[in-house]
Amino acid sequence: MRHVVLERWSRSDSILHRLDARAKLIVLLVYLVSLATLRDVGSLGIAAFVIFPLAGLPASRLPIPALLARSMLVLPFTLTFAAISFVAGEPERASAMLVKSYFSALAVLLVVASTPTPALFHAASSLGAPQALVVVLQFLYRYMFVVAEQAARMWSAALCRGAKTSRRSRKQSMVAASGMLAALFAKSYQRAAAIHKSMLARGFTGRIPLIELPRWRRADVAFLGVGSIFLLSARLLPILWP
Amino acid sequence: MHIPDGFLSTPVWVAAGAISLPSVAFYARKAQVALDEGRIPLMGVMGAFVFAAQMINFPVGVGTSGHLVGGALLAVTLGPAAAALVMTAILTVQALLFQDGGVLALGANVFNMAIAGVLAGYLPYSYWGSGSRRRAAIFAGGFLSVFTSACLAMAQLVLSGVPIPAALAGVSLALFVVSALIEGAITVAVVSSLQRLNNGWMRKSEAAGRPRLAFVLVAACLIGSVGALFASSMPDGFEKLSEQLGIAARAWNLFETPLMDYEARFLQPEWLRKSFAGLVGLGLIYAIFLGLGRTRRGRLSRSG
Repeated sequence: MRHVVLERWSRSDSILHRLDARAKLIVLLVYLVSLATLRDVGSLGIAAFVIFPLAGLPASRLPIPALLARSMLVLPFTLTFAAISFVAGEPERASAMLVKSYFSALAVLLVVASTPTPALFHAASSLGAPQALVVVLQFLYRYMFVVAEQAARMWSAALCRGAKTSRRSRKQSMVAASGMLAALFAKSYQRAAAIHKSMLARGFTGRIPLIELPRWRRADVAFLGVGSIFLLSARLLPILWP
Repeated sequence: MHIPDGFLSTPVWVAAGAISLPSVAFYARKAQVALDEGRIPLMGVMGAFVFAAQMINFPVGVGTSGHLVGGALLAVTLGPAAAALVMTAILTVQALLFQDGGVLALGANVFNMAIAGVLAGYLPYSYWGSGSRRRAAIFAGGFLSVFTSACLAMAQLVLSGVPIPAALAGVSLALFVVSALIEGAITVAVVSSLQRLNNGWMRKSEAAGRPRLAFVLVAACLIGSVGALFASSMPDGFEKLSEQLGIAARAWNLFETPLMDYEARFLQPEWLRKSFAGLVGLGLIYAIFLGLGRTRRGRLSRSG
């Protein structure tokens, strides 16, 4: 699955990986808001928003072509609407869509690829995300792999029994596929009940703790300060001195 | 349809976020209360189930296949509040780990799919989920869930100024209907199989009550915003008849009203004039019927 790569990337080591997840999330939000509110992408002001994530690529010590390629996942959607805007006589809007969506996706990917998922969810929680949502996210992420593998095993079993080769009516195929989903639902439901019982037995209080609690270091504060000031200056200076 | 970052105009993503944030906080608080009942791990695993379920393709004919989106299925099994929280978690994971949808656009995507989509998916089930029309209600829930989400996403793009020609809007609407029909059929098929396995997994339709106001608001937003965008520019039957008889030429206005010709003239953009007038009209009609209902109930209770 695609996200396994992301899990491997997030466990590497680099300057970007060592930064506090909260600092990275705040700077990411400043970047996204500044870029989203930028009106004229044809001006020099856009340069800062292109340079910023590009500078983060070598700092992450991750495979740069793979990061650039993975960010292109947004392009099928973006290119469709950019083409429509271009045909409708709005080339500026088309280029703005492409630049904004691609670099926003790259910035998000850089943060996610350089932060282990438990630390990312913990940072979201300490920045004010509702606790129940964060716990659901943690369970979802934890069991996404397990349930997806279960689904893949069921699909393999169905193929072994001639799911694709046998000539069945559409109704029969529909009944078979829905039966598979119902069985998957049943297994997931039973697994959830068993997980909860075993977690309660191990003293689960509603929060999934981190092995090591993150602490603000000078480098984190410096990254937060310099990054935010750089991005806000790039956004606000053209307004103050047009 | 997951909207990426860089598409929505600032007023649209800020407004969507302003609705979604408190709504998600409200659902999270409701879920937190239910923590002792072991529903939080269940919600997480059900979210994982929806992810995995999307790997299983359903044959829908003409050489094509579709997969489950899951809003209505989650709503009829977990209830609307828990389903909305699970959908929010799914959308967050999709935005962060799969680059499917933006982080700033998450507010809009959550509003479309986790709030309006889930509520729309639960609406028919909450009214007809226990009677003989149960299957039809589940089908309608699946249909409405996807159709509402898709229409809202398209409306947000239009509100953000993305130029969408009328022909493309028509084609998109047709595609939305097809996707929504597929979701309805898959939801019915999966729910039927689930009932055969264990009927206890289905939520009783009376259990959570019927949050009428929320549904009315969702329906009003959908009809007012999207309906007005696709509204016909042709005159209606009464106007046409009055034109043919020559009555229209003799008619004059006694006084100007703010919403004359179903348009809010004090607003600048063309689309906003009709949408605003539509929403105000719906609000007025709702207020009138609410007033009439209360008066009638008051009389009945006095007479009883």
